[in-house]
Amino acid sequence: MPSINHHVTGIEYWRSLEQLADAPEVLDALDKEFPGYEADTIASSSRRGFLKLMGASLALAGIGLTGCRRWPEEHLAPYSSNPRGRIPGVPEQYATMWELGGVASGLLVTSYDGRPIKIEGNPTHPSSWTVKGKIGSADGFAQASLLEMYDPQRSAKVVARTKTGEKRDSTWKAFESFASKHFGEQKADGSGFAILSESSSSLSVADQKKRLLAAFPKAQWFEYEPLTRDGERDGAKTAFGRPVRPVLHLDKAAIVVTLDADLLSTHPAHVRYAADWSARRRSADPSGEKPGEMSRVYVAECGFSITGSVADERLPIDPSRIYPVAKSLAARLGVTGVTSDEHLSEMEEKWVASAAADLKQAGSAGVVAVGPAAPPHAHALGYAMNQAIGAVGNTVMLVEEQEADRPSHFQAIADLAGQITSGKITTLLIIGGNPAYDAPADLAFAKAIESVPVTVRLGLYEDETSAVCKWHLPRAHYLESWGDARSWDGTAGIVQPLILPLYGGKSAIEILAIFSGESETAGEQIVRRTWKPLLKGDDFDLEFRRVLEAGVLEGSEFPAAKVEPRAVSYPAAEPRRPGLYIRFEPDAHTYDGRFANNGWLQETPDPLTKLLWENAANFSKKDADALGVTTDDVVSISVNGATLPVAVYVLVGQPVGVIGLSLGYGRTVSGNIGNDLGFNTYLLRTSNAPYSILAAEVRKTSESHELVMTQNHHLIDSVGAAGRDKRIGEKYESGKIIHEASFAAYKANPGAALGGRTVGLQLFDPPNQFNSPHAWGMTIDLNTCIGCNACAVACQAENNIPIVGKQQCRKHREMNWIRIDRYFKGAPDDPRPEVIYQPMACQHCENAPCEQVCPVGATMHDSEGLNTMVYNRCIGTRYCSNNCPYKVRRFNYFDYHSQDPRHTGMPWNNLPDNQQMETVDKIKRMVFNPEVTVRMRGVMEKCTYCVQRIHRTATAKRAEGKDVEDGDIITACQQACPTQAIVFGNLNDADAEVTKLQKNPRAYAVLDATLDTRPRTRYLAKIRNPAATETAKEA
Amino acid sequence: MADEIDNTSDDPREKAPLVTGGLDYAGVTDTVCNIAERKTTLAWKIAFLIAISWLGILGACIGYLMTTGVGVWGNNQPASWGFPIVNFVFWVGIGHAGTLISAILFLFRQNWRTGINRFAEAMTIFAVICAAMFPGIHVGRPWLAYWLFPLPNQMTMWPQFRSPLLWDVFAVGTYGTVSFLFWYVGMVPDLATLRDRSTSKIKQIAYGIFALGWTGSNRHWHRFERAYLLLAALATPLVLSVHSVVSFDFATSQLPGWHTTVFPPYFVAGAVYGGFAMVLVLAIPARELFGLKDLITQRHIDNMCKIMLATGLIVVYAYADEFFTAWYSVNHYERFAFMNRVWGPYWWGWFTMTFCNAIAPQFLWFPKLRRKLWVVFTIAVLANVGMWFERFEIIVTSLTRDFLPSSWWMFKPTIIDLLMLAGSFGLFFTLFLLFCRFLPVVAMAEVKTVMPHSHAHPEEPGHRRDEHRSDYWPDEHRPDTDDDDSGYDPIAPQAVPAPA
Repeated sequence: MPSINHHVTGIEYWRSLEQLADAPEVLDALDKEFPGYEADTIASSSRRGFLKLMGASLALAGIGLTGCRRWPEEHLAPYSSNPRGRIPGVPEQYATMWELGGVASGLLVTSYDGRPIKIEGNPTHPSSWTVKGKIGSADGFAQASLLEMYDPQRSAKVVARTKTGEKRDSTWKAFESFASKHFGEQKADGSGFAILSESSSSLSVADQKKRLLAAFPKAQWFEYEPLTRDGERDGAKTAFGRPVRPVLHLDKAAIVVTLDADLLSTHPAHVRYAADWSARRRSADPSGEKPGEMSRVYVAECGFSITGSVADERLPIDPSRIYPVAKSLAARLGVTGVTSDEHLSEMEEKWVASAAADLKQAGSAGVVAVGPAAPPHAHALGYAMNQAIGAVGNTVMLVEEQEADRPSHFQAIADLAGQITSGKITTLLIIGGNPAYDAPADLAFAKAIESVPVTVRLGLYEDETSAVCKWHLPRAHYLESWGDARSWDGTAGIVQPLILPLYGGKSAIEILAIFSGESETAGEQIVRRTWKPLLKGDDFDLEFRRVLEAGVLEGSEFPAAKVEPRAVSYPAAEPRRPGLYIRFEPDAHTYDGRFANNGWLQETPDPLTKLLWENAANFSKKDADALGVTTDDVVSISVNGATLPVAVYVLVGQPVGVIGLSLGYGRTVSGNIGNDLGFNTYLLRTSNAPYSILAAEVRKTSESHELVMTQNHHLIDSVGAAGRDKRIGEKYESGKIIHEASFAAYKANPGAALGGRTVGLQLFDPPNQFNSPHAWGMTIDLNTCIGCNACAVACQAENNIPIVGKQQCRKHREMNWIRIDRYFKGAPDDPRPEVIYQPMACQHCENAPCEQVCPVGATMHDSEGLNTMVYNRCIGTRYCSNNCPYKVRRFNYFDYHSQDPRHTGMPWNNLPDNQQMETVDKIKRMVFNPEVTVRMRGVMEKCTYCVQRIHRTATAKRAEGKDVEDGDIITACQQACPTQAIVFGNLNDADAEVTKLQKNPRAYAVLDATLDTRPRTRYLAKIRNPAATETAKEA
Repeated sequence: MADEIDNTSDDPREKAPLVTGGLDYAGVTDTVCNIAERKTTLAWKIAFLIAISWLGILGACIGYLMTTGVGVWGNNQPASWGFPIVNFVFWVGIGHAGTLISAILFLFRQNWRTGINRFAEAMTIFAVICAAMFPGIHVGRPWLAYWLFPLPNQMTMWPQFRSPLLWDVFAVGTYGTVSFLFWYVGMVPDLATLRDRSTSKIKQIAYGIFALGWTGSNRHWHRFERAYLLLAALATPLVLSVHSVVSFDFATSQLPGWHTTVFPPYFVAGAVYGGFAMVLVLAIPARELFGLKDLITQRHIDNMCKIMLATGLIVVYAYADEFFTAWYSVNHYERFAFMNRVWGPYWWGWFTMTFCNAIAPQFLWFPKLRRKLWVVFTIAVLANVGMWFERFEIIVTSLTRDFLPSSWWMFKPTIIDLLMLAGSFGLFFTLFLLFCRFLPVVAMAEVKTVMPHSHAHPEEPGHRRDEHRSDYWPDEHRPDTDDDDSGYDPIAPQAVPAPA
């Protein structure tokens, strides 16, 4: 072969004179140094030579054998001008706000190369910090809203409907020209123009509303939320003559009494409340914040809520009993004008007497909270009781409500429906919400919308409401748009976009600007304009950026309301009518239906029922037995002429006489995930009785419906029940999975928490191992865990955990790395069963049963105590899972990431070793955390203690020459936990929180005494604080 | 059956014949070779069609599994092992009897084994093939199942030697290899017979290749016997080890219901029980279909029934022992595991197992019933059903309810589970029918050694010498006639002519 060097082109470099001379001995030497390559090919820099070499390299690298390729194709797209401060591959965090039902909470969003991948609570925002300045918590809905942003089925197009109802794609331009023409034609005063908006705390929306109403003085603004807290407003109106908002400080509360108020879960401020509540629960420990001052929680409720499940004294009653119970309690607390003339049942009497005694004793350290579904007079009683014990100003702050004069949501929507029917409305703008689906059934709102000549809908999805509107406009997700919002106490923050709108949507304020014909329609400018008067200081840009960075405007909470209680005459309670009450409740998966298309939430089990992917009618055991039905049977419920067949779920502890129906299922136009799941309970809901109603008829049908849940505890055979009781069972026995004690017993003897027993003498002392240089460990406090699932969603987002779909859940193949085991204590017909939640993830056993049975060594221990999974070594024998006594390992039975969860079970032809990048939806894959491997089918996976977080921080610290300090590494579950029940850290560090907690007298390791697994995760026993009379009896 | 001779007598004064019907050497050869030489019968064709159809279904299921994922099975979170491992243990158990018959009974000089050892060994090999298939396709990424083997590689990645699954790989692999060699080596003289009798060129070549140039010379016989003896000695510990190791999969884990030290002997006894049952299930129809009644006689069946009864009783003892141990341990997890097995949601599995394995074989105590072949056949089928359910009970009841009640969940097999179980029988019977069609189903050479002729003195009537035939056992090896059944003692030092 002639040397190609003879035809060198371009600049020529040479290494030595001999090479330049192309001497044969040099070529020989080159050949020796690079065997297998033609020296002249290597040395050549000619185009032809280069192509030859490239051709061979490509062939060898397997371009011709793409079937064997196991890595994703990468495209380099370098910045032509790098955004300031952007380092590729380094995650950054931005503060923002998120609104649900008109109340916002602070968030911190992690962005990786321009795509948001994780949502956490903002540690500087009062609505979300759990450890001020360090850890912020966001609930499951907030965290899962990330998936909503990436949902490929979110609305991406402007859609116009012709008069015949035909749907055609349109453009923003077309809409804008229509709008300017239409509103130009409109009477300048805007008569006949109505806006139906979802509830919003946004300052800019309020400003835009003002501007719109200025432009169209006769336009009407209606606000509607299906899950509303207007009951509280009405109650305050009864008590004070105008609405005020109660802001509670549970960290100061020694005695908490709630009347159907789910403070820890469905309350808009539940993250704050749960964090504060947990401080007073940790006080059970001598090391707690207020040692020995553990709070006692009394809950009277008409369903079975999270707050009820962690109450010390729970009173399950039907909705008609809330008022008489409140009245009796108030009478005993000496509220003026209230006489205790109500007849109470024995159970009620005991509860009221005990709560009244405790509240009296606690004085200003007591608090009474009344839930949104309670009648106004019950709220008035609540305010009066708080006044009477002196709680107002200490544990309860009454602050000014926004828009004090607006009608209640149900009045508003009924009013709007009336006006539409009478033909007064000619143009209707619907911002957010989904009234065609969730408006009260008696209003027939979907039909009403259809009758309006011009209807414009701004929505995240093309849903039931879009289907009946003439125009549908895609809404920008809050992660894509500018805005602002206020939390429950009024603290304001800015919503900032993390990414440009994926599907070209626009935000509410931008749309309102278009409607009112403003010149400024850019979201950022609108927000800046709103905030200009709010920010003090000379340099607005700087101040604005400060707020953006912190995510909070300090001192912007609502001012205290100066209200004087009015004399209220409290009517006598109506006698209870026979029959079953229906009670409408928010759903744990879909809230009010809006998250129906969110797979993460669909697959997060309901805290108490553990139902997935659907809802059911919660029946008490007694009512179910009386009707002759049990779980999975279908009953038909009739009320106001509407009939709904719905599956029964027998919920232990559900109040007798109350059927719990969660709202938000039975969606028909929500997307591939959410369509046709569960039962649409809105069909039974009317505007005059939106919270609860007496069912006209509840009839057993011959049908049955197999509900899907992650844990089944009812309907167990007697052998299973006996085995279960032995495991969890008797109080004060060691070697059990669950340990608990009463506060009185624990105070007297801390050893009581573990049943007074310790592990006896061991033949082999556990060796001190796996602790170099750190020894990672975790504690989970059963005393503060409220089962809210925030940790489970956090884990799903952090660790790229797939959803598997309803069918696979039915087979019990969920992938959650952390699950919350829920156990009931008491007989199935016990009206007041005790509940315990036990989050269960990999325990990182030092003596791990899984490790020794893996034939390929795919699960091993590292030197710091992590039980690691080597995904690419795993062949999937699943032996490890069999040998795991905690059953926390999860197996990819299919390629879950690439399949459609609703057509699941049998996805065809995902060829072996086809990496997910090829098959996962291009948008959906953007949500992946790049620091965590996306697992393929056939491999085992499990909790890693967030190894990626550990190493990211530890490596960075090592580079600085420092060691990891306590609090530097926070696992995703710990981060999300509103009650700090989960603590992670280095057990080598004697001062670390986790080390201290593992020495707590409540600390124990599950199954360790039985199996000597030596888990690194320890649990802290639950302490209950039942009323003094009961404790006395027990002792 | 009236025409059959009852040779089941245990009267020590009389020697019970192991070959009946007055067959002489040539008669034995003709009877056995005829099966391979005659035209394909309709019964065989029908049976083969059914078997290969199920094999096709198995293949389709495996293809579906490979392209889709192991989730096509019913396995779920607590029950990570389901049908595939049940089937694996079941088939390994079946594969026990053959080598036990050919090796251990050989060493114990149980000469009646000669009538059944050939196809019992074949059964073993086919059962091991069925068994080995399941763990291979059971893993999540079957295309990487070869990582279970200690293959040298540039990353120096080795299997994890503490895992019982790895021991399985070695145990089953060794067992399969040695069983196959034993079977094949024993077949060489018979293959030579078939070669010599072949009328077509193709058959001559085919049998000729596998006959390894056997001529029947003294030297060949000498080498053959030594090799056979050595292989028997090698195979004997394997018979005991393979199922012991398989039982370690369970015994070394910490799962209540698995974590049991009695498992190795219990599993071995169960395997022998199930294996002999399978031999009977195959032998009873085969002797009818292939006219082997004179070679597989009542006595053979009777002996096998006795072994079934004995091992069945060991199994019953093991069942009882498990319950006793659970009770005696005062460990509530352990006690629960067994209460749950009997009275839990899978109670029907336990009762099926107990009926089939503990009650049904008790009928074998009665000699009259042992002579009723349909009774024996029914009990043998039940024993196989029982042994399958035993594995199902052990695996599924223990997994579905272990330590934390939160993770308890039922296991439900899918249609693929059931089709694959049936398909594995398709694979087994396809191989077995091919074996019956083309290979000597009875070890002719060995049978001849237990015939009275081979021990007769030259002047005795009925003795015939035909030195031009390669298919009989050489006279030089004439054993001591005082020995029990037939007297040929392969272990005792033999008078071997010095090599020329």
